[in-house]
Amino acid sequence: MDVGISILVWLVLSIVLVFMLLTGFAYTTLLERRVIARFQSRVGPNRAGPQGLLQPLADGVKLIFKEEIIPASADKVTFILAPLLAVIPAIVVFAVIPFGSSIELFGVKVPLTLAPNMNVGILYVLAITSVSVYGIVLAGWASNSKYSMLGGLRSSAQMISYELAMGLSLVALVVVAGTLDLNAIVEQQKQVWYFFLQPFGAIIFMITALAEVNRAPFDMPEAEQELTSGYNTEYSGMKFALFYMAEYIKMIVISALSVTFFFGGYREPLPLFLTQALPFLSVDHTPLLGPLYFGLKIIALLIVQVWVRATLPRFRYDRLMKFGWLVLLPISLAWVMITALVVLLRG
Amino acid sequence: MAAKAAAAPVAELTGPLAGLKEKFGEAVKPGDFEGVVINHDRLVEVATYIRDELGYDYLTSVTGVDYLAQNEMEVVYHVLNTRAGGAPLVFKARTPRENAVVPSLITVWPGADFQEREAWDLLGIKFEGHPYLKRILMWEGFSGHPLRKDWKEAYYEQDVKPFDSRWPGGHHRRAEDRVPYADNVNFPADFDPTVYTAQADAAVYERFKNYEVDERGQFVPKEAVKDENGNGKFQEYLETDELVVNLGPQHPSTHGVFRMVVALDGEKIMHLEPVMGYLHRNHEKIGERNTYIQNMPFTDRLDYLSSMSNNFGYALAVEKLMKVTPPERAEYIRVIMAELTRICNHVWAIGFLLNDLGAFFTPALYAIEERELILDLFEAVSGSRMMCNYFRFGGVARDLPVGWLETCRELVFNRLPKKVDELDYFLSENEIIRARCEGSGVLTGDDAVKYSTAGPVLRASGVAYDVRRAEPYSIYERFEFDVAVRNHGDVYDRYLIRLDEVRQSLRILQQALNQIPEKGEIQAGKKQYSARVPAGQAYGRVEGPKGELGFYVVSDGTANPYRYHIRAPSFINLTALGPMSVGQKIADAVIILGSIDIVLGETDR
Amino acid sequence: MLESYIPIAMLFILATVLAVFIIVLGTIFGPRRKSFRKASPYESGMQPIGPGTRRMNVRYYLVAVLFILFDVEIIFFYPWAVNFRALGLFGFIEMLVFVGILLVGYIYVWKKGAFEWD
Repeated sequence: MDVGISILVWLVLSIVLVFMLLTGFAYTTLLERRVIARFQSRVGPNRAGPQGLLQPLADGVKLIFKEEIIPASADKVTFILAPLLAVIPAIVVFAVIPFGSSIELFGVKVPLTLAPNMNVGILYVLAITSVSVYGIVLAGWASNSKYSMLGGLRSSAQMISYELAMGLSLVALVVVAGTLDLNAIVEQQKQVWYFFLQPFGAIIFMITALAEVNRAPFDMPEAEQELTSGYNTEYSGMKFALFYMAEYIKMIVISALSVTFFFGGYREPLPLFLTQALPFLSVDHTPLLGPLYFGLKIIALLIVQVWVRATLPRFRYDRLMKFGWLVLLPISLAWVMITALVVLLRG
Repeated sequence: MAAKAAAAPVAELTGPLAGLKEKFGEAVKPGDFEGVVINHDRLVEVATYIRDELGYDYLTSVTGVDYLAQNEMEVVYHVLNTRAGGAPLVFKARTPRENAVVPSLITVWPGADFQEREAWDLLGIKFEGHPYLKRILMWEGFSGHPLRKDWKEAYYEQDVKPFDSRWPGGHHRRAEDRVPYADNVNFPADFDPTVYTAQADAAVYERFKNYEVDERGQFVPKEAVKDENGNGKFQEYLETDELVVNLGPQHPSTHGVFRMVVALDGEKIMHLEPVMGYLHRNHEKIGERNTYIQNMPFTDRLDYLSSMSNNFGYALAVEKLMKVTPPERAEYIRVIMAELTRICNHVWAIGFLLNDLGAFFTPALYAIEERELILDLFEAVSGSRMMCNYFRFGGVARDLPVGWLETCRELVFNRLPKKVDELDYFLSENEIIRARCEGSGVLTGDDAVKYSTAGPVLRASGVAYDVRRAEPYSIYERFEFDVAVRNHGDVYDRYLIRLDEVRQSLRILQQALNQIPEKGEIQAGKKQYSARVPAGQAYGRVEGPKGELGFYVVSDGTANPYRYHIRAPSFINLTALGPMSVGQKIADAVIILGSIDIVLGETDR
Repeated sequence: MLESYIPIAMLFILATVLAVFIIVLGTIFGPRRKSFRKASPYESGMQPIGPGTRRMNVRYYLVAVLFILFDVEIIFFYPWAVNFRALGLFGFIEMLVFVGILLVGYIYVWKKGAFEWD
């Protein structure tokens, strides 16, 4: 392929990706508010535009015109840097996540992954998600406020603790898949989703992923009841919006990762006989359906996360840490060895 | 004893009081009320005897009264026997107004802590031996003691209502308008409001032993705290700081403008100091200015979630003085309202406890849905959903509207039992709720009595004390119900006991709704706009949803109460907050507070 | 394979530009009305006592140390997992030995009370 065309394709894909994530973020907030409202027998925001569809826009505009307050005792550079460090990794992770196979566009074969067939895909994902803890820790430290500091420390301790179990749950997956390449992993799930081969791995991954993005019931760092707003207590205006954005994009990211690893990625979520009867529904036949399936699966997982938030109370911090270290870590380690044994025995 | 009353006949001492007289001779004198006056030299000794030998293990109310005419201060103690029940034993201590000093009873009943501080704060009675006699409701810079009869507030007009400025002429002009810059605003000599900063509330931090004031007036950790218990240190060789954090007043989970100052070692609470008074409006002073009937709507504002119960307690106290009994139908209506209030309050408490646990509003909103239906009923009878103002001395304000009983029966017999079971089913066995609530904030039965906690907090610790049973008022002795008791005294039991109590309330309601006479008077005597209350004093108490709610009213025969004191359960239950929270995690402090279930309108008054 | 990192770099730059743009947006349009009280750190409306950042309880840092220990070891799993089918029985036993050593450390840390928060 021509270098110029490649760069053009990458540029277009990156821009599309960023805009998809921005809209995704905006509408995830609306989705959450509307869905939680239904759970709580309320209506939710429905005034801005039809069904409240313009609500995220209104929120955004409001935040733009809010005053940005930086505490006098804060470390200014770090204080401004922290939200950047939170949001950038959340976006960059998406580079390796395949949201479709590949399509023909103006005679050019365009893969629907920004960096397709990355040979260290899973390691890349783990590395980048780890980076996002810096944003939170630095926000907590730079604010020079006690709530922020406690929130920042809690979240960093929590995120790194759960990262171990998360890493191990993916090791089990890699033992089965034999590759770190995300595109390959998706293609391997053509027949059967890895969720059915790796049920424990999938569940551990999803639990740890919730903890990783600090969502309920693991929303310790911003535990409203104790720490008012945790690490982002001192943030206002668009800097706060960035943290907010990071949180929701990370929600999308972990949903996308769960889908990619365990729920067949962009492959059609349909039983085999149906795609045989109606072949145009399969991604192999109509590649454009890939992103659609992918998006639907992500929305389903997002709703699950919202559901969890609407249902469960919060863990207490010390129990959360114990749960991570004394329950999830040994279980995931054992699961790796069991998987390895089974793979070994089956040849 | 009232200011204007002539020397009333001295009552004969009977029962336990007679024994007291025998034992202590001259130190115990009978008064013109049902109780004794104890010479304050031997107060602690007699109090210890009352506690240990007579079995009155629970101090319910400490009230200071200022008798300006006699140049005397009086401290009135009401003590209870939690095992035998019955009426409270009343004893008083008297002291001259100038330099009023009474020995503190905190060593006998630690529950006296907050109430003695309150009496010091509002009346200027010093309690000798109290370890921390600081202002509790007013702020430290406040000048004077507002409940003293010779204390005049800013914009003072007259001693009692109705004020001449508004009545009888009907000129609704406020005193503030006439005196734009009031000249009776007082500050202490060394206090300048224009330069006042929050650092002046330093007194709170004095109790944090690892902190001190440095030369700049800042609060800093003490250099090299050497505590023999190693407090504040993770390990001797690795020095870490305790973090003193304010939770409140502007905090999402303190249920209002309540403040907890906590010292944290990591996540663990080393010390907790409750600070209150941010919503203080000197309810009792305003109550003394009001006429008796004007106080009825004012009690609504105490615990604004259960105004009917507040009305009930106040009505009982004044009715004791007036010696009236409401007619049959009114009694039933009162019980129905009080029990509906209890349900209302408990579902709210459960919902918001879950909120404090971090459940994002879902349980709370489901609980509030039921509360709204009950509020509909209140609105139908009183015209208001929250500030009901429904009770009158000797009855209730209005009769039930047509169809009200049917709606209420539908709710009580069909809907609420199911909904309570539903709450129970979804919440009680939840893993996270159990993991977080069981074993946290444990209060033993002995401690619960010691700290004078009341209501669900007391009963969850295994002490079966319920005013409705111990000293039945109104027509409660007619109903069959069990006093709900749980034995662990942790947050989980305090949650469960509220479910139990809702179920018991439903039982009472079902009986009351079956027995209520179809027709009848709702007011003893004719409707009055100004109650004529004979001179005397009375303590009326009800089992409010949050615990024993008592009103101590002193009348001097005029249209306004001479003294109007409230034993507020939300306020006194907080005595146990510190002891319950120390050693727990910071997240627990929030749910412990939630499980006590306070309403700041009542705490701060 | 290095060229597959070019799009990642592009995305990174784009994300940075976007984030910076958002911050600048707020700075341009937001009002600026500074005051002493507004600029003090939030502590439920009270003036904070002492600085917000100080020597916190060491347990938080202990977790970080443990994490580094275990995370480095978990990274070793990845090459093994990718080549597991090729390594066969030998690889499995070798990993069992490795996990055994890891567990010894894990149990040691556990018994030392590093996971206790009281």
